[in-house]
Amino acid sequence: MLEVNLSGLKLKSPIILASGILGVSFSSMRRVFDAGAGAVTTKSIGPKPRKGYKNPSIIEIYPGTFMNSVGLGNPGIKEFISEIKEIKKYNIPLIVSVFGNTNEVYLDVAIKAENAGADAIEINISCPHAEVSSIGIDKGLTFEIVKFLKEKLTVPLFVKLNPNVTNIVEIALAAEKGGADGVVAINTLSALKIDVNTKRPILSHGSGGLSGKAIHPIAVKIVYDLYKVLKIPIMGCGGVDSWQDVVEFFLAGASAVQIGTAFYKGTEIITEINHGITQYLKDNDYKSINNMKGLAHQFKTQEVPDFD
Amino acid sequence: MTENTIKTVKIQKIINECKDVKTLVFNMKISKTENYITPKPGQFVMVWVPGIDEVPMSLSGCDNNGNWSITVKNIGECTNAMYNLNIGDYIGVRGPLGNHFKLINQSSKEIFLIGGGIGMAPLKFLSNQLTKMNTKHTIIEGVKIEDDLMFKDYFQEVITNNSEVHYCTDDGSYGIEGVASDIFKEMVNKFNKNDLSNLVIYSCGPEIMLFKLFQICQEYKIEFYASLERIMRCGSGLCGLCALDPLGLLVCKDGPIFNSETLKEIQDFGKYQRDFTGKKIGID
Repeated sequence: MLEVNLSGLKLKSPIILASGILGVSFSSMRRVFDAGAGAVTTKSIGPKPRKGYKNPSIIEIYPGTFMNSVGLGNPGIKEFISEIKEIKKYNIPLIVSVFGNTNEVYLDVAIKAENAGADAIEINISCPHAEVSSIGIDKGLTFEIVKFLKEKLTVPLFVKLNPNVTNIVEIALAAEKGGADGVVAINTLSALKIDVNTKRPILSHGSGGLSGKAIHPIAVKIVYDLYKVLKIPIMGCGGVDSWQDVVEFFLAGASAVQIGTAFYKGTEIITEINHGITQYLKDNDYKSINNMKGLAHQFKTQEVPDFD
Repeated sequence: MTENTIKTVKIQKIINECKDVKTLVFNMKISKTENYITPKPGQFVMVWVPGIDEVPMSLSGCDNNGNWSITVKNIGECTNAMYNLNIGDYIGVRGPLGNHFKLINQSSKEIFLIGGGIGMAPLKFLSNQLTKMNTKHTIIEGVKIEDDLMFKDYFQEVITNNSEVHYCTDDGSYGIEGVASDIFKEMVNKFNKNDLSNLVIYSCGPEIMLFKLFQICQEYKIEFYASLERIMRCGSGLCGLCALDPLGLLVCKDGPIFNSETLKEIQDFGKYQRDFTGKKIGID
């Protein structure tokens, strides 16, 4: 009942592990899959090992709302290939998140991931606290990288969108025009937390990306806006920790939903969410997720009144 | 405020334990309105030294007034900064995090606390709890040389009701000469075979030592708990750096305390950890 076909990826559940969370070892990703995820996304992998920023790099600031500035710490694609191969031994649908400093480096990492067995590539052009964010804030650069990668890659290509922009819709459209097979909305929101006693920013990098509960309504609004104009699937991402949050994304127009931060509660939350969605489908006599996709759009919302 | 939020608190007391080791005491009952969580022996905190770094540290104590303590050995950049802090300086604390030593309050049990070096920190907290519960226990503290002995005065003062402490040093400069795991094995051999099922071991220290103890306990079918240490960013189940292959267990959430049944399934135990990039490296 929960099966979805996401740009050719057949998933047992529309819930996908979001990039950056538990995505370093095959074992933790397998655990998320076993708990009920339809697919898992790895931590963003680059061309070489990278330490990222020092601690504090991940902190909770309100219950369920976190801030991080990991700074793309990762073991590098060469080291990571063994983890990809290990995951594929268990037939787990795998999305490898990649980043680089040039289009060619993105391609090199993506091809290596594809050859190792990745079922799809997600490009991180939006990390708000590292230099790669420059691509994701520009529609021209976004179009170029997507087009460049699509020419060489065989597997589906997803683009994770940066919400820290003036007009996210035009960047999503540029990704679609470039040939992207889907977009993920949204990455974390640029934020800052200052400790009042020591009077300094807590994260070692200063600013970081906000994730979790607080950003869910922002992500829903963006998915809602994107659904009006995009033809390619949208993966809703941001602040999901209940089945209601997931259903909201579907009603706004998402085809699948990614979960990350909420795993601080444990991987079992996926099991609960899957149960909740199944019950919702039954209660509404829906045969599949598709039956509820975009339903919020049928309701007319009030127009801005004339200025008088 | 939750256990994962950073609370900045002033250091209220500093105790010199031995060469390169100090205990820092701070109060976590910040206000009456905050929901205060009482830590249990075996749990850890993420300690932030502003401007330097944030690292996981086991709690070495906690009293009824909300005074928590960590015992730090000056071995790296962050622990060096911690070691040099003064009373009144701020540190950031997140916790209590992770699981705790499962306490067994049965007089029929023979409880051993076996610590190597700074691994004694959470065992001091545990010993304190057991003493409060009037539960007899035996401590084996293993260190390299006499200068590294810690909590000696404390144990002498506090340990009562038949509990005992055995010290051992690698070079024999104090107590028994040898490593804690060998001393423990000698003790095991003195037990009547039928009594071995009454033994319960709580341990913390270098993973090589823990692995040796684990092997002894497997051989003699002795109940065994070990506190593991891994590099971590979040301490809250998100970064994945502390994942143990092949089960995907997280030291920060599922641990840091694991029992024999779990440890025997963990292929990484005694062999591998991850560095800050996430790369798997050997344990030395």
